[in-house]
Amino acid sequence: MANARALDKRRKSVRNIRKITRTMELIATARFKKAMDRATAATAYTSRITEVVSDLARSGLQVSHPLLEARESKEKALLLVLTANRGLCGGYNGSVVRMAIPHIAKMRSEYGQVNLEVSGKRGINALGFRGLVPDESFLQFEDQPKFADVEVIANRYLDDFATGKLDRLDVVYTRFVSISRQIATVETLLPIGSLDGAADDAETKPTDGADAPGAGAADEGDSMYEFLPSAESILEEVVPASFRVKLFKCFLDAAVSEQIARMVAMKSATENAGDMIKQLSMTYNRARQSQITGEIMEIIGGVEALG
Amino acid sequence: MAQLNCIVVTPEKTAVDEQADFVALPLYDGELGIAPQHSPLIGRLGYGELRIRAGGTVQRYYIDGGFVQVSDNVVSVLTNRAVLASTLDASAVAEQLETANKQPSNSPELLEIRDRAVQQARAQLLVAKRN
Repeated sequence: MANARALDKRRKSVRNIRKITRTMELIATARFKKAMDRATAATAYTSRITEVVSDLARSGLQVSHPLLEARESKEKALLLVLTANRGLCGGYNGSVVRMAIPHIAKMRSEYGQVNLEVSGKRGINALGFRGLVPDESFLQFEDQPKFADVEVIANRYLDDFATGKLDRLDVVYTRFVSISRQIATVETLLPIGSLDGAADDAETKPTDGADAPGAGAADEGDSMYEFLPSAESILEEVVPASFRVKLFKCFLDAAVSEQIARMVAMKSATENAGDMIKQLSMTYNRARQSQITGEIMEIIGGVEALG
Repeated sequence: MAQLNCIVVTPEKTAVDEQADFVALPLYDGELGIAPQHSPLIGRLGYGELRIRAGGTVQRYYIDGGFVQVSDNVVSVLTNRAVLASTLDASAVAEQLETANKQPSNSPELLEIRDRAVQQARAQLLVAKRN
């Protein structure tokens, strides 16, 4: 049986680790709440954009825009991978990277040139280890991505797409479905598949009910809105705006999912440490007891030998 | 008298949600004033100043493009950025205008991109100067 003192030492260190993981869990919970609030605040914008789009559609406008159409040419594609800057969040980074690698290979076989952009230290390292060096990397996105930061990237993509430097943009990120479910997904953001996609997330559905009376009123007239300057011109602006907000949503989803993943990982780590402490205490007590018994036996043996 | 409900949303948050007597919006080609009982409209916004008058006080914001939707006395503004005019820094904006002017413009698309950056910076400068 192991030395009692060594066991006690181990127990102490496990206790320290438990304290750390417990704190990390609490921090992740607090950050998750903040990130979640931001994500829900963003849905106000998406739901209003959808409203404008549906009003445009009701005016009998043909919804067509260069950003909505698939390109003939298959020259340049771009893959954006969203991972975390930090580890200790379970399978969060791993599942995104696992999703990204076969997708890069697939895109490389289809397109002439595939650029890789990665956000998050973990993703950069993991992909670098596999020989995939990103053309561009971002480290500035933490648990609260700023729209201004995302907008810069979004505008660059939009400009590249407009000037023909980009034919397709895919994003690999962890989509937030519910608090208990986040899945790593690949999404094609350019060309935009459909405009309604911006707000078909589960979270916006409850607000749809609240919007219903307004939408009902709009149904009365074919289109009661006056468009300034014209429906086409507004559409021209709506499409890039909806792309920007879609990309922003990806970043927000990734941030929320990261915090949840960390929360869950740290919770199970804390529980594991608790179990381990119990186990170690038991072994320690047993070792201590047997040590005492051994000492007593020695004394008795000595007394007997003297007598 | 009826009042307007003015809502300004950005992708990050709902920046303004309050009652107003009059709202002046920077449309793509000039300013548009909205008083209560305005007919429904959807408009494209330019870069410029949004003024919300409620009672005797006027709040001023810089608005970075987007749309406005007016119906049933609700003015909802969707924009990328809504900044309180008082927080704009004139010297920083002037610098931004300078860098925007230096952007390359050797193809029609690039020219368009540059023009947009220049317009944004100029509009911010105008709003900042009115402080």
